[in-house]
Amino acid sequence: MSLPNQDLEKIVQDVLAELTKRGLADSASKEQAVPKPAFSSAPAANDDEKMVTLVSADEILIDNPANLAALKAMKKTTPARICIGRAGARPKTASWLKLLADHAVAQDAVFVDVSEDFLKKMNLISVQSAAETKELFLTRPDLGRRLSEEGRKTILEKCAKNVQVQILVVDGLSSTAIEANVGDILPALMQGLKASGITVGTPVFVKHGRVWVQDEVANLVNAEVVISLIGERPGLGTAESLSAYMIYRPNEKTVEADRTVVSNIHRGGIPPAEAGAHLVELLKLILKEKASGVNLNAKLHKD
Amino acid sequence: MAMGESTVQTMTSVGIDIGTTTTQCVISRLTIENTASATLVPRMEITGKEVIHRSEIYHTPLHQHHLVNAVEISRILAKEYAKAGVTPRDIDTGAVIITGESAKKENAKALLEALADYAGDFVVATAGPHLESVYAGKGSGAAKYSSEKHELIVNIDVGGGTANYAVFQEGEAIDTACLNVGGHLIEIEPGGRKITFIAEPAQHVLKALDCHLKVGDEVPFSHLQKIALTMARCIGEVLKCKVPSELTRKLLMTEPLTLDYPIQKVMISGGVADHVYKDFSPRSVEEISFFGDMGPLLGWALRQTLLEEGFELIKPLETVRATVIGTGTQSVNLSGSTIHVKEQSLPLRNVLVLAPFKNLTSPMPDTPEEIAQGIRKSLTALAGEYELHPIALAFEGPRTLSFPDIQNLAQGILLGMEDYLMKTNRLIVVLEKDCGKILGQSLAALSSQDMEMICIDQLDLGNSDYIDIGRPLMGGRVVPVVIKTLVFDTKA
Repeated sequence: MSLPNQDLEKIVQDVLAELTKRGLADSASKEQAVPKPAFSSAPAANDDEKMVTLVSADEILIDNPANLAALKAMKKTTPARICIGRAGARPKTASWLKLLADHAVAQDAVFVDVSEDFLKKMNLISVQSAAETKELFLTRPDLGRRLSEEGRKTILEKCAKNVQVQILVVDGLSSTAIEANVGDILPALMQGLKASGITVGTPVFVKHGRVWVQDEVANLVNAEVVISLIGERPGLGTAESLSAYMIYRPNEKTVEADRTVVSNIHRGGIPPAEAGAHLVELLKLILKEKASGVNLNAKLHKD
Repeated sequence: MAMGESTVQTMTSVGIDIGTTTTQCVISRLTIENTASATLVPRMEITGKEVIHRSEIYHTPLHQHHLVNAVEISRILAKEYAKAGVTPRDIDTGAVIITGESAKKENAKALLEALADYAGDFVVATAGPHLESVYAGKGSGAAKYSSEKHELIVNIDVGGGTANYAVFQEGEAIDTACLNVGGHLIEIEPGGRKITFIAEPAQHVLKALDCHLKVGDEVPFSHLQKIALTMARCIGEVLKCKVPSELTRKLLMTEPLTLDYPIQKVMISGGVADHVYKDFSPRSVEEISFFGDMGPLLGWALRQTLLEEGFELIKPLETVRATVIGTGTQSVNLSGSTIHVKEQSLPLRNVLVLAPFKNLTSPMPDTPEEIAQGIRKSLTALAGEYELHPIALAFEGPRTLSFPDIQNLAQGILLGMEDYLMKTNRLIVVLEKDCGKILGQSLAALSSQDMEMICIDQLDLGNSDYIDIGRPLMGGRVVPVVIKTLVFDTKA
């Protein structure tokens, strides 16, 4: 997590330097009362969060509002950038910087890797997709959908076979989402599945993976259901959102509609631990009905 | 993909308001829907509230001005149910609100017994000035006004015996108060001018005016006008003065409003309200005594007083029916949509809420032992009352929503409830934060006991609240919960 925020800091400083060059930074910071120390002093590692919050997300930047209470109430209903006022035809410096910062966070989420320390802490076996580099992963979706030769070997060697549920953690488009949520969702899943007497395979982390990689893993370990916890494409609202994709006995004919998905898992959506307990119920249902995706819905509607 | 259960469900809700002067009921249909899109965790919400039957407005049948005739009430309900085309079995939820003078203990118990047959499976008796005020303000439209216009508004429901204040901001009640002033405190021969009854709070007003009116007197209009204006000023004072006059203090049945907010807009509901918003300048007692009381005159006086003091009067959507509509449509809350319910015996009634860490200035403790200590302390404070009611533990949530903190809370609960669980084998936990399902899962995993367990979330409960928990709806995803105060105190 330290790398993305250092990048962010650099971006913010670059922007400020640029503004100073144009003689804008001083007047801008006075006008917006952006606390200067937040930029100039190098903050301690756990102060990084403060760095990101240039203006707090719930701040109203409209000058002299006629009904502040109304603006606050509207602002509460959405994470979108409303009530930010304007400077002439353009956004105010503070909200512009915030946009750049959020964009940087989103980019970091894609380009950064899940740290080795985190994988060790979570006790995850790590394999890689056929996409060797980030660039290949982003430009060749097909490579992210299958495992590297070595990855296949590792899974065959180290993973339990013939299980009911196989859990995959996949970086997808947000490594940030993995580090932010997996620590809470994985133990919740394991606890619930274990209490329900369901056999769970060895959890595996797939680097540079996409959703479909779960089909290959399912067949390697002969799992009834595979659940992939995968980082969602980050947006400007949050880069921490995680999705869970579940598939019952995938084969070569499997398509997107065969998967059951729960999205928006993060602290601002459904909290990860709570999502874990919800997913346990869903997995039990998939096992019982022997179906996922639209097939599951069709079976449930028949009753 | 959404789970395959039905996505819309309706509930029939009854609201019954037994007040000092009038008794009414409404029957409404509540629609519950999954409002989340297909790939999200379901979110069940009450999306529609339609009143399908409004009863006539009946005089509350009383013996000797204070004993409610419960048999007569059940006859009224039988008649109204028949008119609405429903049977008690069709009623899923709702509330009975027993207010003003009728809320006295000797009435409440008899009423509950009489109502049991009409109240369906899951109707509760509820009372107390706080809830009554809030329901009235929700029924009158004040709550909606505050959230739509984003402006603070006070609803005052002025009925026969009391004026109930509720201050709304963004749809939420932020303050309430109750003043013992109403239109029926002095009864007058209908269409005449002879006084037939003077209730005790009205005696305080007469005394302050040095007026020696008594039952049997023919009251001059100027006297009655003065009395009404004095009562109206007391009502207005509560909106303005942090330290009200001696008379107002005497009439206050609760703490006064805190007035930590500026009040501009006032909405009046209740029986008296119709005469607040009417162009009406009475000149004689006969003109106002058609209901057998001074209500219309109090309405007139209230309009004069509030406008004089610079308040803006906003018209309510409902006047005399505000409380009953609020009661019928607003008393049910839905739990969060990810909950843990392993319980055969729902619905459960009169569950007593213990909130061991409510209003703590320090943060929620994070070790199981500290949490257990807090729970034990709350249980001890009950001094055995839990033998009378099932107990629900209420928390805002674990210290954080992380998995380890949830485990700590679960362990703390099991430790603190050890003795209790040996006796009952039933554990009810209510959380404010969205973590009911994972806490339930953790409690089940950590406990060696096979308990009946209800762990629900997204409800804010206070210590000593009572709740009723209904049967699960929407394929077991949510339970309806009614928060109430019990009319009768079991200790007394």
